[in-house]
Amino acid sequence: MPEQEKEKEKSTAQTHGGAGEPTAAPVHGAPAKVAAPSEEETAQHFFGEPLVGFDPSEITGSLIVIEGMDGSGRSTQIALLQEWLESEGFAVQTSGLRRSNLVGQDIDQLLAKNAVTRLTLSLMYATDFFDQVEHRILPALRSGTVVLADRFIFTLIARGVVRGINRDYISGLYAMALRPHLTFWLNVRPETAFGREFKKAQAISYWEAGRDMSLSHDLYWSFIRYQTMIKREFEVMAKRHGFIELDGEASVSAVNKQLRQRIGEQLGIRATKYAPSAALAHLWR
Amino acid sequence: MPQPGRPVPSRAYPGALIVVEGTDGSGKSTQLYLLKRWLEIGGYRLHFTEWNSSPLVKSATRRGKQRRLLTPTTFSLLHAADFADRCERQIMPLLQGDYLVLADRYVYTAFARDAARGCPPRWLRNLYRFAPVPDITFYFRAPLDVAVNRILSGRPKLKYYEAGMDLGLSYDRSESFRLFQARILEEYDKMVDSDNFVVLDGTLPVNKLQKQMRDIVASKIDLKRFAPHAADAE
Repeated sequence: MPEQEKEKEKSTAQTHGGAGEPTAAPVHGAPAKVAAPSEEETAQHFFGEPLVGFDPSEITGSLIVIEGMDGSGRSTQIALLQEWLESEGFAVQTSGLRRSNLVGQDIDQLLAKNAVTRLTLSLMYATDFFDQVEHRILPALRSGTVVLADRFIFTLIARGVVRGINRDYISGLYAMALRPHLTFWLNVRPETAFGREFKKAQAISYWEAGRDMSLSHDLYWSFIRYQTMIKREFEVMAKRHGFIELDGEASVSAVNKQLRQRIGEQLGIRATKYAPSAALAHLWR
Repeated sequence: MPQPGRPVPSRAYPGALIVVEGTDGSGKSTQLYLLKRWLEIGGYRLHFTEWNSSPLVKSATRRGKQRRLLTPTTFSLLHAADFADRCERQIMPLLQGDYLVLADRYVYTAFARDAARGCPPRWLRNLYRFAPVPDITFYFRAPLDVAVNRILSGRPKLKYYEAGMDLGLSYDRSESFRLFQARILEEYDKMVDSDNFVVLDGTLPVNKLQKQMRDIVASKIDLKRFAPHAADAE
């Protein structure tokens, strides 16, 4: 491992600190320069570092990410896309936050107890993410499956950053994340999302409203302010990572049509006509 | 990509942090225990924290190990989550509250062990950037055979991850353990200068080693500040 020699030099620059800082600013170790051995291949498949013990040439499937805030219509679109792709003969695997076997339940419990600090929570989400990458997403991609990811690292980065975690730190955590083939961003106004979310559960959850951030005692304003902050982070990332931005305010069928077109191009599906089966017809508004 | 290191005050908190590192069987835990007893008996304000002990993360780690779900990446992240929890809820508040904090294993354990598992060192350094740098890092160095034999003779059966079986170095658990520990030892040795380790000879008799340790602590840390009457006087 030649890189460890570099580590030696860097770590001499260590400084004390952190105590007085309200942010989770990094204080341990020194900044690293990106200079990996197989840089080109690494950059093509990952955000920064290669995942341990993984050979990118094995990938034959496609990783398609749908991002967007709560109430942007992600899950609806994924259910419809899965049906469409399966009817076209593609094997589909889905993934989403907190669905790992390793820590999915643990995060649910931490959220319910509200006892966890932001950094620990971020790292638990990172664990959940990589467990799914290694045990669900990669095996699927190796077997030629289309993976539809309901959220990805971008939501996790945005949530951490708005809570004051250093942007480079949290991006660095996800340096070994796979680069998606397509990333869609269903962009909606927080006001629209609020209405949709409220209709779903007749309530707004603590975390959706960002109540841990003490933005407002009023639930509505807390939600709007929090989701606006998240949205700003998405605007920054949309440019940097080439998101395909779709108007999440449009009808389900209109959004779905655009998704099918882009995914169809990616997978070489010519006819992208689709109407949901009876089982999913209720989603087609 | 990490941004250039911003200047941080050399001491952002009044407390002091002493950590012990070393391979399994190097004698570090025994020595830290004796140091802790010495300080406790003297009435000093202190807190002791151990690697991999946060109750919030424990069930996940246990499940991951039992079902062998952990990969080098998730093994590393889960331990970082554990450390972050202890750091944010214990270590940092206590350092700010002017405590002596004693840590049995610290971030260097992750740097050594996870690098031995193949995690990119740069990624690991970033992962723990939030950790305060210790005032003293004792590195208990024992030759591989000494340390390994201490463990093998004292334990009925090595656990899967403990033995590094996930690396596929050998089907024999003891042999795998030995190979894994050799890699870890190598990683530790690389950090001696860069991370200012105070190297102690783990083969010395326990009481001699403890004397050295206490002398170093007394010379490097103004212990009076942590004595009970010091707080009263202020």
